[in-house]
Amino acid sequence: MRRGRALAFAVLCVACAVGAGTYVYHAMQRSRPTSVSQPPEADGGAVGDTSGTMLLFRSTALDNSYGKLVLAPLNHVRDRRVIASLSCERVDYAHGRGVCLAAARGVFTKYSAIVFDQEFRTLFTLALAGAPSRVRVSADGAYAGVTVFVSGHDYVADFSTVTSIIDLQRGEYVVPDFERLTVWKGTERFEAADRNFWGVTFRNQPDTFYATVGSGGQTYLVEGSVGAHSAKLLRDGVECPSLSPDNTRVAFKQRTTQGIGPVRWRLSVLDVPTLEDRPLSETRSVDDQAAWLDDARIMYALPNAESGSAEMTTWVIDADGAGSPRMLVPQSYSTVVWRP
Amino acid sequence: MRSEVQNCPPLTHDEALNVRPATGWLASIGANVVFLGLTSLLTDVSSEMVTAVLPLYLTSVLRFSPFAFGVFDGLYQGVSGLVRIWGGLIADRRRRHKEVAAAGYATSALCKLGLVVSGALWVPTSICLMVDRLGKGVRTPPRDALIALSSSREHVAEAFGVHRAMDTAGALIGPLLAFALLARAPAAFDAIFVVSFAFAVAGVGVLVLFVENRRAGVDTAAVGVASWRTTIGLLKVPAFRSVVLAGCVLGVATISDAFVYLVVQRRANLAPHLFPLLPVAMSLTYLVLAVPVGRLADRFGRARVLLAGYGALAAAYVPLAWANAGPAPLLASLVLLGAYYAATDGVLMAMASRTLPSELLTGGLALLTTGTVLTRLFGSTLFGAAWSWYGPEGAVRLFLCGLAVALGIAATALRAPA
Repeated sequence: MRRGRALAFAVLCVACAVGAGTYVYHAMQRSRPTSVSQPPEADGGAVGDTSGTMLLFRSTALDNSYGKLVLAPLNHVRDRRVIASLSCERVDYAHGRGVCLAAARGVFTKYSAIVFDQEFRTLFTLALAGAPSRVRVSADGAYAGVTVFVSGHDYVADFSTVTSIIDLQRGEYVVPDFERLTVWKGTERFEAADRNFWGVTFRNQPDTFYATVGSGGQTYLVEGSVGAHSAKLLRDGVECPSLSPDNTRVAFKQRTTQGIGPVRWRLSVLDVPTLEDRPLSETRSVDDQAAWLDDARIMYALPNAESGSAEMTTWVIDADGAGSPRMLVPQSYSTVVWRP
Repeated sequence: MRSEVQNCPPLTHDEALNVRPATGWLASIGANVVFLGLTSLLTDVSSEMVTAVLPLYLTSVLRFSPFAFGVFDGLYQGVSGLVRIWGGLIADRRRRHKEVAAAGYATSALCKLGLVVSGALWVPTSICLMVDRLGKGVRTPPRDALIALSSSREHVAEAFGVHRAMDTAGALIGPLLAFALLARAPAAFDAIFVVSFAFAVAGVGVLVLFVENRRAGVDTAAVGVASWRTTIGLLKVPAFRSVVLAGCVLGVATISDAFVYLVVQRRANLAPHLFPLLPVAMSLTYLVLAVPVGRLADRFGRARVLLAGYGALAAAYVPLAWANAGPAPLLASLVLLGAYYAATDGVLMAMASRTLPSELLTGGLALLTTGTVLTRLFGSTLFGAAWSWYGPEGAVRLFLCGLAVALGIAATALRAPA
């Protein structure tokens, strides 16, 4: 009797091990880089004359370039140059300083922010508190604003973000955690226990930044000062701000659903002086910190239609609310303009 | 654990344990408890694998807002409590603890498969996650009742300790396995769910094949007496009511782990990638101490050890309440938190099981669990509010005072010996 049950259990374990093992084997095969991949027909020609503009992005092609940084001329993205030495989840670059948010996968995945120069040489490596989410470098290459996801071991309840600012000349945190900023809502201090910051963008005078603060399901745009360690609430309903090169407008994602279900975001633009916004003509939900191609056009990433695929595509849309979305760079993510 | 076998004094066997003659340590604990522990170990590997990657999965694949889940939580906790007690009633009425527990474990196992089938669709995924937690609610009380019924009366807290240690071991292995898999096959969440399903099936296998229902001390005439009325009526039994009162009052004054880690992380200036190690430090302490503390509870009094455990919790809050505490006191906080779990989680169930008639045992334990879950939820809401008003240190100090008051109430309530 007892032996029979032990035998039954052994059979069950073998069946489970074989079944799960086979599945994992196939999953590994599936996600293993293939040697050749054909990018679909689409290129920078979609946006007209862009000679001289260089794009920097993360390759999401399921080949040996997957996750690597790519620098390519906008009108020849298919003749792309792979920067093989750096694998990044998010990237930005300006004025001789780039920041690559990297993940060294393992039992304890180690996340780091790698500061690199115009030759892609690593200058500094700073540890990150969690999985990379957003990074922006100020136009003069002085600072980077970094957002990561942190999560405890509970269900989603204690999921949150940590946002910090790095001094790119010294390679150290100047604002280690936005939670320590003094935030003003009018004349009152804004100190909710669940407040959470994400998505930094810098003005041209780089002491000034914009970011999102979330609390109790609401999101607000804040304007802050690096030196003063303080920020003030400007308006609500803004996430992942991104300042235009001329500093007059902010592209952002606006939540369009409330309550249960997956959140949908509408890509929108607001005028900085008036804080009034208008939605762009992209109707698909965009979960990205948009980047400006120039003062008239905005780039953002969308997952490819097939579910479960890790491939992303960078799209471009006019900033004035007209036009229709065009595919800009296939198999790419975190696409930004290389600002030398 | 091995060395304790020799230290164990000769035991007086319970009538219940005469079914299968065994000697020494295993007899006092009951082979059943070890098999239940193994079931929990495998199930925790399974569920913690999913839990560890869930935030990543929800945000990167489903593009789900973490806030959207919070909407359900309050309602869910209420429903879960009712289902938990209802499951307990069935287990008590039919004397089928194993079958009800197996139904709960099997439900959770099927949900892992459901996650694979759901793919990137959010509605079936959310349903699977909820039903999974419902399954957890259903299985816990009959399992704890079986632990209590399977161990001798002198070693009931130790038996809970053995079970909780094995359970915690599974909770430690799960995330490691999940992240190792994710490293090998990036974004292959479905593979993680399949492996998780396999572990869950093995866990159900152990339960179904090796765990036996216990009919210890059953007056056959009493079978069928369990009902909503009689179960709720247990609150009129003074000894049980004291345990529930103590558990609930202490629950309100407990800060949720998530907040504790948050405060430690902010304070310790720890290298950020070491943040996931904070719960590990706590769990390892819990794992190591669960059995010896259970033995202490059996020998020197379960109420005493329970109160000492909350004393350890209060001590854990002290470094958190003052802004200039260094890394050493903060590490001590985590160790004390582990000690608190070792001295309270299983011990409270052991205490309650000693005050309950066996024909209402599962329903009573479900009632107690629901009470502590709800009061802890209330406590963590309170803590969030206190944080907004007084800042983290102020909130911890407030809870430290609250815990002192709660300890006083609990000590008074538990003084009347069970």
